[in-house]
Amino acid sequence: MTSSDVPGAHVFDGIRIADFAWVGVGPNATMQMAFHGAEVIRVESSHRPDTFRSSGPRPDGDGSLDASAYFAKFNRGKRSVAINLAHPRGAEVAKRLIAGADIVTESFAPGFMERIGLSYDEVRKIKPDVIMCSMSMEGQTGPHAKFRGFGLTLQATAGVTGVTGWPDRPPVGTGVAYTDWVATHVAIIGILAALDHRRRTGEGQYVDLSQLEASTLVLDAGVMDAANTGRIAQPLGNRDLRHAPHGVYPCADDHTGGDRWVAIAVTNDDQWRRLALIMDRQDWLESEQLCDATGRLSAQDNLDDGISRWTSMQTVAEVEQLLQAVGVPGHRASNVRDAHEDAQLAHRNHWWPSDHAVIGEMSYESPAWRVSETPPPMPAPSPLLGEDSEYVYRELCGYSEEEFQQLIVDGVVE
Amino acid sequence: MSQTTKGALGPYRVIDLTVEIGALSTMVLAGLGADVIRVEPPAGHPTRQRGPMLREDTTSSLYWAQMNAGKRSITLDLEDEADRERLRGLCETADFLFESDAPGNMPALGLGYEDVRGRAPQLIYVSITPFGQTGPKSMWAASDLIGHVSGGLSSLVGDPDRAPLRPSVEQAYNITALNAGSAAMIALHARHLTGRGQHVDVSMQAAMANTLGNARLYYEMDGIITERAGGARAFADRATRIIYPCADGYVAFVRVPASMIRLHKWMTAEGAEPRFDAERWASFAIAGNTLPTEDEIAELEAEIEQFFAAHGAQALYESGQHFNVMICPVNTMQDIVDSPQLNARAFLAEVDDPALGRLTVPGAPLKMSATPWRTRPAPIPGQHNLEVLQDRIQAQPIGD
Repeated sequence: MTSSDVPGAHVFDGIRIADFAWVGVGPNATMQMAFHGAEVIRVESSHRPDTFRSSGPRPDGDGSLDASAYFAKFNRGKRSVAINLAHPRGAEVAKRLIAGADIVTESFAPGFMERIGLSYDEVRKIKPDVIMCSMSMEGQTGPHAKFRGFGLTLQATAGVTGVTGWPDRPPVGTGVAYTDWVATHVAIIGILAALDHRRRTGEGQYVDLSQLEASTLVLDAGVMDAANTGRIAQPLGNRDLRHAPHGVYPCADDHTGGDRWVAIAVTNDDQWRRLALIMDRQDWLESEQLCDATGRLSAQDNLDDGISRWTSMQTVAEVEQLLQAVGVPGHRASNVRDAHEDAQLAHRNHWWPSDHAVIGEMSYESPAWRVSETPPPMPAPSPLLGEDSEYVYRELCGYSEEEFQQLIVDGVVE
Repeated sequence: MSQTTKGALGPYRVIDLTVEIGALSTMVLAGLGADVIRVEPPAGHPTRQRGPMLREDTTSSLYWAQMNAGKRSITLDLEDEADRERLRGLCETADFLFESDAPGNMPALGLGYEDVRGRAPQLIYVSITPFGQTGPKSMWAASDLIGHVSGGLSSLVGDPDRAPLRPSVEQAYNITALNAGSAAMIALHARHLTGRGQHVDVSMQAAMANTLGNARLYYEMDGIITERAGGARAFADRATRIIYPCADGYVAFVRVPASMIRLHKWMTAEGAEPRFDAERWASFAIAGNTLPTEDEIAELEAEIEQFFAAHGAQALYESGQHFNVMICPVNTMQDIVDSPQLNARAFLAEVDDPALGRLTVPGAPLKMSATPWRTRPAPIPGQHNLEVLQDRIQAQPIGD
């Protein structure tokens, strides 16, 4: 573990998290606490590895469970212990770990923790003030509690996919595990609120996070609209119900590879006049119809045609500069290279370097926030699978060297 | 187990000066029991005019009702120094302040972090902006759409032959707000350590840059620029289809090797007589094995399409999940309202809104056993002027 004297390294000193969760939502949540000093112990198994350990990217030809940069991204600053929970003695090890933990997180299908004797009711017998957070797809109760999915498909259930697409084509969804990046923050907020409550009252509790319910938070007022008026939000391409012009327009080839696009969002009449001015469109400036949003909304096809012609004569960098010089919201549709090289993200030191024993030097995302007084130190790289098994079994769970060796022979440490 | 009535964040007070980019963060804190005080101009907050509306007017905002659920409201005219001083006084009583003005605007009003920290050293001051407080783009004009494109997500969203997309229901603002909520909670725990508040600088661009999955990692390691792939997983140089039409809409289904045997069983049980070789498709999971050809994939997808086309989305969801196949319906907002799962968990709740009457609202996004989420209505402008401002100031109507 990285030691550091900065106060940001000690925000969660003394807090131990037994982290049975996997993939995106849980590991990202506990990583934010690991950044600030919580001791996060990923409970893993080489027979049932975290999906991200089998994912990519990974250095050439390295198919090992320790080579995935995707796993590394969400598990910096943590420890890893190998426990075969399917083994009869695996649950016993887990219970010893939990006895010394403040927070238990898990994202198994509902019912699994009960089956191995680690339901909240059992866990609180071992550690009465524990905070346990379950983060399943659709919550612990209800007719779909055991339904399976992941962020790529759950976004469909959660309503995101259906409003992402063109009006004349099938919906497309976001192409990424979108709900993971939403639900993880609801998990962080809930767990840290519960931890604060415990600091004040000594009382632990059980948090049942449904990734589906948490993800609906970002639907703006879409669910309220349907529930109270029967209106159903539709996919609009890049158009907006309130503002026009509002779209993503093609730009000239700038020889950086791939197609290039610029987003333009005119959100008030003043921005509209400035856009028309830099486009040298006197006819638009003089048009009475176009001077307010209602008129512009009814003329969107024409506006989009005119803007596309204008943007396609220039590179994204040129259009961005023209728009922002006069305060019109505009930005290239950044691809992953643009995001990697973005000057503003670089200014924030957004991509944190990490030197991993197997993966080597890479950079990974940092929090979207910066804090003035307690910034965290650079986190240690993500652990190898079972890297801390001896420490966890011997020092945290209290097994003797002989017992530990026997547990290895018995296939509990795997 | 004791049931506290105030919620997990019951002791804390939040001053809320945000617009769209931050409103959800304080709504979540209010749901967790914090005393969130919405500060509005005397004429009412501008987002009270943001649609969708309950009625055919410009004042019955469902957006306002949703994003301000459980908050109190006071009216202050921040153009007026006396009211600015009232706000500074209020800061002394608060644990958090959330604001989303352009960098420099709050300091220009004498309300920046440096202006209030002397009087309110305990205050956690959360600034939420499109790009952050400093840097080359910090003063760039922005919007929700700019959030989606500046972080890179749009490049992974949409059909390859058309422009990159954003979801049509605005979300970059809301994802940013949830990030701000996480940041605020970490700063609260930091205050237990240091005894002091601090300034938290949240960036929408950075929040959206953190939604790229492993796509940016593929660029950094292998130089691959992942492109949008329509209704498919945007994954490095090989996309996997997700969206399929069905009898009454669409479903999301990812063809992963591990699920092919289950898919085969399900289709057989439904009388579809699948022709594909499930064992062979399952074998593609084994490293080193050959991968299916384009033709094989097309043939399989056609067969799956034919099966899905005979059934409705909700029926496919129920029956497919029964066979442990990871299939999900592409739900509309109405499907969410009607969801048997959400209704079994009483996700939707009813509140008596002081302006709009009885409303159905989304309730708890997480269930906490000791400190349950509280679903409460949004306030009318200045509803709590007397009870809030008398804390520090002689009670008097504000904005007369």
